Amino acid sequence: MLNDWFPLWMTLRVATVATAIATVLGIAIAYLLAKTKFRGRALVEAVVTLPIVIPPTVMGYFLLTALGANSAFGRAWEKLTGSAIVFTPTAAVIAATIAALPFVVRASRAAIEEVDERAEAAMRVAGHREWKVAVLVTFPLARRGILAGVALAGARALGEFGATVMIAGNIPGRTQTLPIAVFDSVQAGDIGQARSGSLLLVGIAVAALVAMTMLSRRRP
Amino acid sequence: MDSFKAVASNKRSIERGVGQSPLGLRILAICAVVLGFSGCGPANNGSNGTGAGQVVIAAASDLRVAFTDLGSQFEDATGIAVTFTFGSSGQLKEQVINGAPFDVFASANEQFALDVVEADKGWPETVQSYARGRIVMVARPGFDVPLSLVDLVGQDFVRIAIAHPAHAPYGIAAREALESVGVYEDVKSRLVLGENVSDTLRLVESGNVDVAIVALSLVVVGDAPYELIPENLHTPLKQSIVVTKTGDNEKSAREFVEFLFSQSGRTVMESYGFVLPVESK
Repeated sequence: MLNDWFPLWMTLRVATVATAIATVLGIAIAYLLAKTKFRGRALVEAVVTLPIVIPPTVMGYFLLTALGANSAFGRAWEKLTGSAIVFTPTAAVIAATIAALPFVVRASRAAIEEVDERAEAAMRVAGHREWKVAVLVTFPLARRGILAGVALAGARALGEFGATVMIAGNIPGRTQTLPIAVFDSVQAGDIGQARSGSLLLVGIAVAALVAMTMLSRRRP
Repeated sequence: MDSFKAVASNKRSIERGVGQSPLGLRILAICAVVLGFSGCGPANNGSNGTGAGQVVIAAASDLRVAFTDLGSQFEDATGIAVTFTFGSSGQLKEQVINGAPFDVFASANEQFALDVVEADKGWPETVQSYARGRIVMVARPGFDVPLSLVDLVGQDFVRIAIAHPAHAPYGIAAREALESVGVYEDVKSRLVLGENVSDTLRLVESGNVDVAIVALSLVVVGDAPYELIPENLHTPLKQSIVVTKTGDNEKSAREFVEFLFSQSGRTVMESYGFVLPVESK
């Protein structure tokens, strides 16, 4: 099958960590958008949704400009850690997280707004603080929508290519994810490897989506 | 009254929710923690187990076949593991300037190697021209290769692929050659731009374009027929190499460059159709 299993391992790691970060961050942002009123809320929502709309390569360019060795952030990071943040697995996680985030935010926000306010009110009447209401009532009742968003986010993170190849590069054994390995195999004319990699990605994506669908149907 | 009923009917769902997040999220969290903290993966130290070090090389796409060959000979000779990233020289240059951890940058022209030095990401004294590249025409399987660039005029060839001249030196050379013979304006609307020169070759090999202008070094070892384009039609592809400051393996990098200029290195490069600089040192 694959000559080198690193890209698969790398992809699974990056997608899982990115999905986890996007889930926590996404639910928090969705909650704020659904429950609070503040100036510029529409703008925040637009910015968070942007990664769905703009081409991944454009996002990669923005990220390279913002995090690269010549940026203020890039220089500060290098001073702190001794090495650049771009062209590392961390950079791949950043790209995948940003690509995945809007799916969690949009699905979770809709689900949180659907939750019956009377259930939340009951918790408040019982004297619970607002964060406890959210954790004990709002999120559990909104879980189906949230899980649907997480499933989409995971699928998006798994397949992320455009921004990743720009800020993490295509370095075999270091930052080469499976989608990038497939691209590289095609470029090298190695159709056998490209086919194996592609089938593997499709298999993982289908398995992950089926698992998520079954989990969201499951009654706790 | 109504709200009391609502509260009662929601009581069950509240109890159900209390104290537990959905199973899917819990599984995800566990996976993330396990994967996130499990080090950097198995293949991080390179495939070579001798401990002789490694070198990460960014190389122009025209070198894909030649350098893969050269790299394995270098590994055999030194025990140093070689990792290649192939791409268009312009894109690789951008990556180096942005801090990509490459030890060596082998460009398909001289300018991009100098740009890296200019940006203080390469050692100035290491910039050297290692070969001159040649461009050729190839046709899709079953098509006759045109004998001259002038034959591209007219509608026999519906799609013509060249590498992207914005960042691929072989694309620049292809455009210059088309301009030199005066057919560029005629073929312009039929051009398909490959991401880099090996991508351009894939376009024609897969039959998605009728003819392509690519690097001699990529087709010289294959069976497909090609037609060499006279070198005086374009600026010479003076391919240059530079040891970069962005990597961690400067010593191995210098060894690799030395190997490239050694007799074995020259033999390999020559066998892929490169014109080598006159031996000077």
